[in-house]
Amino acid sequence: MFLNAWSLALTLTSIAGIVLGGIACRTAIRVLRHWNPASDSELQIRLEGEIWLSSTLVAYGLGFQIVSLILFVLAADEFCKVIVGAMCATGSLLANSYGMPALLVKLVGVFFYGFWIVLHQLDIRSESYPLVRTKYLYLLLLYPLMAADVTLQTLYIAGLKPDIITSCCAVVFAAATGGGTNLLTLGSENLQLLLYYLTMVLLLGLGGLLLWRWNRWLQALYAVGWFWFFGLALVVITNVISSYIYAMPYHHCPFCLLKPEYHYIGFAIYGTLIGGAFLGSSAGLVEPCKRRAGLAEVVASYQKRAVQISLILLLLFAALTSYHYLLYMASGGEV
Amino acid sequence: MNSALEKHLNILDYALSALWRHRLKNGGIVVVFAAVIFLVASFQLVTTALTETAGKVLAVTPEITIQRMSAGRQEAIPLAYAEKLHDIFGIRAVVPRVWGYYFDEVRGANYTVLGVSADMPQADELSRAVVGGVMGSGGQGKVVVGRAVSQALQLQPGQLFSLFRPNLSLKAMTVAGIFRPETDLLTADLIAMPLVEARDLFLIPASKATDLCVYISNPAEIGTIAEKISKLLPDTRVLTRPQIQKTYQVVFGWRSGFASVCLLAALAAFAILAWDKASGLSPEERREIAILKILGWETADVLAMRFWEGGLVAGLAFLLGCTLAYLHVVFFGASLFRPVLVGWSVLHPALSLAPHVTLKEVLLLLAFTVVPYLAVTVVPAWRAASVPAESALSG
Repeated sequence: MFLNAWSLALTLTSIAGIVLGGIACRTAIRVLRHWNPASDSELQIRLEGEIWLSSTLVAYGLGFQIVSLILFVLAADEFCKVIVGAMCATGSLLANSYGMPALLVKLVGVFFYGFWIVLHQLDIRSESYPLVRTKYLYLLLLYPLMAADVTLQTLYIAGLKPDIITSCCAVVFAAATGGGTNLLTLGSENLQLLLYYLTMVLLLGLGGLLLWRWNRWLQALYAVGWFWFFGLALVVITNVISSYIYAMPYHHCPFCLLKPEYHYIGFAIYGTLIGGAFLGSSAGLVEPCKRRAGLAEVVASYQKRAVQISLILLLLFAALTSYHYLLYMASGGEV
Repeated sequence: MNSALEKHLNILDYALSALWRHRLKNGGIVVVFAAVIFLVASFQLVTTALTETAGKVLAVTPEITIQRMSAGRQEAIPLAYAEKLHDIFGIRAVVPRVWGYYFDEVRGANYTVLGVSADMPQADELSRAVVGGVMGSGGQGKVVVGRAVSQALQLQPGQLFSLFRPNLSLKAMTVAGIFRPETDLLTADLIAMPLVEARDLFLIPASKATDLCVYISNPAEIGTIAEKISKLLPDTRVLTRPQIQKTYQVVFGWRSGFASVCLLAALAAFAILAWDKASGLSPEERREIAILKILGWETADVLAMRFWEGGLVAGLAFLLGCTLAYLHVVFFGASLFRPVLVGWSVLHPALSLAPHVTLKEVLLLLAFTVVPYLAVTVVPAWRAASVPAESALSG
């Protein structure tokens, strides 16, 4: 279903992303082959200039990726109007086997591009660019991810078969069975909520402890904790929290939160969650960079700032996700 | 944090003044870009508005329509078929309907003639859509006409007019009322009359109708009931309302997609223009950047300035293009593109379109226009930013 404004916009954004990525990778290959900080040849000076180009390109790539991620979910929501049996974005993403993987790759992409930008920002703070090789090797590894993203998205769009009336017989009933499909069904609601809030308290405690007294192991635990919390939060939002926001007990959908009917609350929820998870985990991931020449201080200050902001985002996220649940409980609701 | 913000504000300030200094060049880009955005946005808004209108109109149509097929063509359906459906639970009513097209040779226009039964569950909905009296049969059947028909035939309520039967005898009718403008998409070219009158006009035997409308109480049962009907009446085509709705959605989506593909050429032309404008650095601009570098600006700062410039140009063009598109669609009824989306019929429904603009549409338009613009200007921006400081001395 390519002849549709949404499919075209998605494809256009992806093409823009992959072309910019291609240019950045060309720089990456040149840097990996010819980089020599000791030299002052013309090539080296040109390469130092090109570093700016590649970083700008990746920054744009990240921006496009975020746009593409949001666009993809909104497009899925739009597609559900023409697909048999689909009632919202969940239905259209499950319409063929490429929808969910494409979404996942896009989401992962946001993290990976973001990490690259963090590395780059740390790198340029030092006179000697100690992370250049790591950074560009990483950039080259990002390209397959970009390619996978475009491929999955294209396959997904190509595989969408809209349900339209054919001239012979109009009846397509086979697929119309079944009501709302729920994405995940897991354990009891209370158990999930308990785990969710427990992890949140744990993360807050760890973050506070880290800010008070820095420790490498605590730092690693904090990063791992955020990864775990990110996955858990997505499950809990889908299974438990979403239905309180919709005020419909049987509607468990992580995507309808992004709709205007719910005041776009999803953007705030996912924005704080992704932002928090990114900063919280990146603070741990940059730890090995401390050993590079001239980076110890820069990395330490980044880590501190990242942990601080991630804690603030966590609190915001907690408030956003708990509000409807608490409101329901306070007004005498039953579990 | 504050100093970084301040720095960006200063860069933004500089970017604004730089834009103003080159206002002719940037103004040209804004105008062309706004025109491209205007085209894309108009199409998108018209599609949204049409889909919404179709959805609203279809909400009152019967849940299932049964048509008899013979040799792949639609034929009149015997009323006896309705009897066979009695045993299916969940059906509220089965109502016959007669409809067809009437070609007016004098005006070269096609009218849609619809004969409805008085026991149709939504008869009151129909009468609510009418200004004037109600339909009725008798010597000179009372009919309700759409606005386009009333204009074409210069009819007023209470007036008498006649149409030809297939055997060229004349059938006289009185105009009982005219449909309200809100339903123009469906009723502009419509002449609605009682079932008997329509049969008389088309000379269809009393035992037959064009199709059968099936009304169902519970919308969740539409699929199951449709399946049962298609098993019971194998020589029929069973159309359900959700399917018709989806088809409309696909058709409008397809048309707007097709239009967007055509507009891609305009977008590509614009991208080439933007690329060209951004990469052709005048000696003056080179000098400017070189002086900035001597003053202590870094490549990153110049890049940031270029980014702000691009962002401002794109933002301004986007606002301008979208506003114009909205005005075009809402106040001028999208007069530029309506034929493409609505059809080429002689009697055009005079639509009043009021698209419901949400964040979704805005993001779609941004991705369609601003993303390509930013993508093509990034490499030229870097090239400009990497002008060496010493070139100011040589120039």
